[in-house]
Amino acid sequence: MFWTSKDIDEFLKQKEFIDTALVPLVILEGKDLGIKQSASGAEFLMSLTNFIEQQFKGRIVLTSPITYTASMSKEDIITAIYDELVAAGFKYIFFITSDHEWNRFTTNYDMIWLPSIPLGDMDEKVKQSVLSDQLRQVIPVLSSKWSKQ
Amino acid sequence: MSNNRVTRRQFLNYTLTGVGGFMAAGMLMPMARFAVDPILQKKAGGDFVPTDKKASELSDTPVKVDFTFEQVDAWYKSKVTNTAWVYKDGDKIIALSPVCKHLGCTVNWDGNKDFKNEFYCPCHGGRYEKNGKNVAGTPPLGPLDEFEVKVKDGLLLIGKTRANTLV
Repeated sequence: MFWTSKDIDEFLKQKEFIDTALVPLVILEGKDLGIKQSASGAEFLMSLTNFIEQQFKGRIVLTSPITYTASMSKEDIITAIYDELVAAGFKYIFFITSDHEWNRFTTNYDMIWLPSIPLGDMDEKVKQSVLSDQLRQVIPVLSSKWSKQ
Repeated sequence: MSNNRVTRRQFLNYTLTGVGGFMAAGMLMPMARFAVDPILQKKAGGDFVPTDKKASELSDTPVKVDFTFEQVDAWYKSKVTNTAWVYKDGDKIIALSPVCKHLGCTVNWDGNKDFKNEFYCPCHGGRYEKNGKNVAGTPPLGPLDEFEVKVKDGLLLIGKTRANTLV
């Protein structure tokens, strides 16, 4: 499910089945060095999360991406988002990012960290296979959590 | 030369008819086009999308076939890649939609080692038989949709979805 009015209606009706939120965390940098990297990282994460949504449409709600800068407090961001999604009734809340700064939150939150792969110049076919490979890394994380109950 | 002299009257007649004709055509053409517009409209949908799968490579085991088409969502154009599970039933090619009828996840053939030779949905454990029939007792309430298929120059083409005709 996407974060759209139609899909959220569906979520409200089917809360017992749609119980997982997936939150992309995307860094925004404006400096010459970081801007390109942050854009390519965001592109990668958006493509991948859309792909995950397609595969797990009936169980995962993909929220709108959370964009932050390096100067913002990560603690504040993650706790605020987490609390809001708990209030919405999600049983499982996964964060997905390619910024390694989030690694220190892995103990308290379900954080999926993946190295960013520049997709910009890739052929459609190659992009597909790269994303499928990445998806294969993510599935076990999701299913192990789901099977624990 | 003196035999074929065009009189002033004739010359004016010809030129005025010519110019008048153009003007009349200029006015009438858009009107005529407007009147028959529904016939000229291009048909959306119903188009077959080519895949790079050869029809001769198919067997009775379902394989994943990707196909890409352009989707326009208001101003946002995007390339969408869809998949189908394609197998041969005798001589007939069957293409099933991978979208679970429960809540829309993507199902996989042999997706769970406990349920061999079935389509399995990883979200809530929905199961389907090879022809797309939903297994009773699992969440889905209907069979998987089917794609229309065509073969052209030995390659597989995939069309619109329709309700399952095999179950």
